[in-house]
Amino acid sequence: MKRTLLAFIRKEFAQVLRDPRMKLILFVMPMLQMTVFGLALSSEIKNIKLAAVYAPSDAAARRLAQRFTASGWFVPVAAEGRAPEDLVVSGAADAALVFPAGGFAREAARGCGGVQLLVDGTSVTRARSVEAYARAIFAAHAAAEAGLPAPAAPFGFDVRIIYNPEMESPVFMVPGVMGMIVCLVTIILTSMSLTRERELGTFETIVSAPLENYEILLGKTLPYIVLGLANAALVIAAGFLIFGVPVKGELWRLFSAALAFVITTVSVGTLISTISKNQQQAMLGGFIFLFPAVLMSGIMYPVENMPALLKPVVYGNPLYYFTTLLRNILLKGGDQSVFVFNMSALAAMAVVTGAAAYNRFRQTLN
Amino acid sequence: MTAAPALEVKGLSIKFGDFTAVDDVSFTVERGEIFGFLGANGAGKTTTIRMLCGLLVPTSGSATVGGLDFSDGGKGIKGKVGYMSQKFTLYTDLTVGENLDFAAGLRKLEPAYAMRRRKELFELIAFDSPLSTMVSSLPGGVKQELSLAAAMLHDPEIVFLDEPTAGVSPASRARFWALIRKVTALGKTVIVTTHYMDEAEQCGRIALMRTGKLIALGSPDELKASAFPGPMAELDFNGPAPEGFLESLKKNQGLLELSPQGMRWHAAFRDKAAMDAALSSLPAAAARTLIKPSLEDVFIRLVEGIER
Repeated sequence: MKRTLLAFIRKEFAQVLRDPRMKLILFVMPMLQMTVFGLALSSEIKNIKLAAVYAPSDAAARRLAQRFTASGWFVPVAAEGRAPEDLVVSGAADAALVFPAGGFAREAARGCGGVQLLVDGTSVTRARSVEAYARAIFAAHAAAEAGLPAPAAPFGFDVRIIYNPEMESPVFMVPGVMGMIVCLVTIILTSMSLTRERELGTFETIVSAPLENYEILLGKTLPYIVLGLANAALVIAAGFLIFGVPVKGELWRLFSAALAFVITTVSVGTLISTISKNQQQAMLGGFIFLFPAVLMSGIMYPVENMPALLKPVVYGNPLYYFTTLLRNILLKGGDQSVFVFNMSALAAMAVVTGAAAYNRFRQTLN
Repeated sequence: MTAAPALEVKGLSIKFGDFTAVDDVSFTVERGEIFGFLGANGAGKTTTIRMLCGLLVPTSGSATVGGLDFSDGGKGIKGKVGYMSQKFTLYTDLTVGENLDFAAGLRKLEPAYAMRRRKELFELIAFDSPLSTMVSSLPGGVKQELSLAAAMLHDPEIVFLDEPTAGVSPASRARFWALIRKVTALGKTVIVTTHYMDEAEQCGRIALMRTGKLIALGSPDELKASAFPGPMAELDFNGPAPEGFLESLKKNQGLLELSPQGMRWHAAFRDKAAMDAALSSLPAAAARTLIKPSLEDVFIRLVEGIER
């Protein structure tokens, strides 16, 4: 048993670490993804292209338009000679601010200073942000134009953002991306490895030895569990060093979360490889699992907003629990009840998927 | 060593869906034999071997291998046999040493024992490259010899070789067959599949397979004698064969088999009298030579005898 396992570990490590493609998947791809996703997957909307449409003599309109630009969210786009709608349709502008034809100041003086805001709604999150920014800028502008200080409300919020005070996107995104990377790497590596043995014919050599099913399965999975954990450590270290993602919680919590998660994904990968006939099928099977797993994990889209029909998918998604755990442990220091709940869910999944893979595995070629 | 035969197979069949890959095959192989399976691709040779190694579960029938049956899921048998599959069985992205270490680990061999066996086998196959050689850089014939060494690392009683010489050079094929004889000299039983006739000639006994059925079994000489009880003549017309003569020969009741062999023809007859009668009208320009039938003749006769 021990001898066989060691032989498998040595062999898989030698193969993976000798293969330049595998090294790329294990070490380079995670770093690239961290950088790209950590920086690009920002939930903050910036650089909104705004076309302001007003007569050149309309000074009041210009002042409001300048306030939009000065806010930092908007970049001005030339509107001359084009219909506002065309600007939005063609994508030249994300939003168009259309002032009344009779002059903004005069209309405002008559008490009907309506300004039309055309917003490109094809990107819903962007449209919502544009609307919210516009309202705030408008309110501030109205107060300033009236020469009054902004009205002091009898009560107000004292907002304090904790755990991520600067509201930096990377701090929120990177733990999610970490989970995603570990998921991707382990699923791809394991789903390919058994199928490759079968395709090359070396699987026949393995099963022609008098071994128990669990010995072969452990031999083919344990090396990848170790590699998956090493990958998780690498990614967490990179998040800490490059993006300044804090590691507030205890390491044993991180380790046990990563262990349970990696066991689950390695089992899923093995399950895929027991079903697939060749490496292409395994690759496809891996992506059929990966896409919903990533999209329905709360990494990019908040789970709370998903329709009730899809929520069960979220609750069956190991990446959801792992992401929750990572965010909680890394950013908040690990709340006991969050840890226990998500950890038990992950552990249960590890057991179920592991049992399923064991059940599906056959030593015969029938 | 026990007295039980190396292989005892009774009514072995396997179906994949509606397709019967191996149909009611029975035979016995004694210890120390070189037993060959001869047949075209898809005849069921590989499937039969896989069943006997415990890689496929037969639909019906029974078998004992090395005196053991499959009641324990084939564990005991797997310990007694070595299997070299048709596809390449070594990892090309590992070194020679890593491959043999993995083979030893699969069989749970003690490191000291594995090292000793490795030395013995390297001597047997005359392998002297360093252990750190990548398998991918070895020539085809050497790879096959090394595969055999890996399959024999645990000192099996019975060695199954599935088309071990497919795709290697003729010189390497001859070398490999010399190796097979050395292996049987060590007291091992070798079961080998091939579709090369010259290789089949080197087997002690041959099982001829066609569409899943065992159609003939015996030593090369026995097969020849049973397929061709009478004499066989090679006819050389020193040019194109006269159609009229061939037509009348084909209708002759004494003729068993007439098959073209390049520019010549092989004609087999029931007995000498039938041959003399049939060839009395042989054109003067033609020459006839009495020959011994080859296994290829046997193969053509037995396989086409069924199709006719």
